[in-house]
Amino acid sequence: MGFLFPNGFKYPPDFHIPTPTGEELFRIGPIGYTNAHLTMALVIILLGSIAIIATRGMRERPGALQNLAEMLVEGLANFVESIGGKKALRYLPLFGTLFLFIVTSNWLSVVPFIGQIKFLHSPTADYHTNFAMAVLAFVAYQTEGFRHLKLSYVKRWFNFSGFKDGPFIGVIFVMVGFIELFSEIFRMLTLTLRLWGNVFGGEIMLVVMSGLLFLPGLALPFVGLEVFIGLVQGLVFALLVLMYFILAIESHDEEHEEGSHADTDRVPSPEIHPETVAAH
Amino acid sequence: MVWAGIGAGLAIGFGVIGPGIGIGILTGLSSEAIGRNPDAGAAIRTNMILGAALAEGLGILSFVLGILLWTRIG
Repeated sequence: MGFLFPNGFKYPPDFHIPTPTGEELFRIGPIGYTNAHLTMALVIILLGSIAIIATRGMRERPGALQNLAEMLVEGLANFVESIGGKKALRYLPLFGTLFLFIVTSNWLSVVPFIGQIKFLHSPTADYHTNFAMAVLAFVAYQTEGFRHLKLSYVKRWFNFSGFKDGPFIGVIFVMVGFIELFSEIFRMLTLTLRLWGNVFGGEIMLVVMSGLLFLPGLALPFVGLEVFIGLVQGLVFALLVLMYFILAIESHDEEHEEGSHADTDRVPSPEIHPETVAAH
Repeated sequence: MVWAGIGAGLAIGFGVIGPGIGIGILTGLSSEAIGRNPDAGAAIRTNMILGAALAEGLGILSFVLGILLWTRIG
């Protein structure tokens, strides 16, 4: 495939395509530790030490690092509050942790050598990490839903209240409940694949572009694109998890009453309504 | 084997058409909305990014399918 020039120059060159998962470095008992684990530990140490250094000896007049940390936390808190109101602030720690961890990992995938040499592999470019985070978020928001709504939480999946309006409506409500139940499971899958596909696809794109464009430096615009995509994907993952929390803790009964009579005079609010996500 | 490679390419190519159209419509309409009401720009932009990510998720699914086919080949 491709051209082989007389001077031995080959176009396109052989690409070193990054692997879709991390490679196993060593094994303790039944658990294998991969290079993605190692990089994840590095990310955690990095973020943790920044957090400790920034908050150690906090002062009334903050230094540069403390100022930065305060700005970041305040910005995230304002963002969460603008989406879910005061009650969503309870989920700020999870939201912020997911956001910072994912964005740092995504940006690592752009750094040269990470994903190319054996010991370093961006954690979010390995779908196991993403699936673990998605399962964690899934368990957490289901627990929150049960804690808030008790047993009436399952009414969104097994809703037999429609039968009092006739069998047809009843069957439709049951079907909608089934679709909701399956979409809960697909949420984990889509969260995982969206993040992994973007980060891993970005890595492949950078490798292929720097091979095809003769000079690796010509691929720099794509590095900028990847940095932007990394930020957006981190935001999207954390934002979707936050949305699932907000959807889980809001009762379905009130919503139906609200929607049935107030549809005509409802002012379209500029804020995100969780229903737009529920449709997914 | 060769057909699997063509299939992988076709899966990505066709699978990206829908999300492409979707994100185009989404971005166009939100630009229009921001132009009409610049004060609501931040909220519209957040909504737009969220919707774009959801639309893009479908394209990513086809990408994953392509990757699966491609790893089968070789």
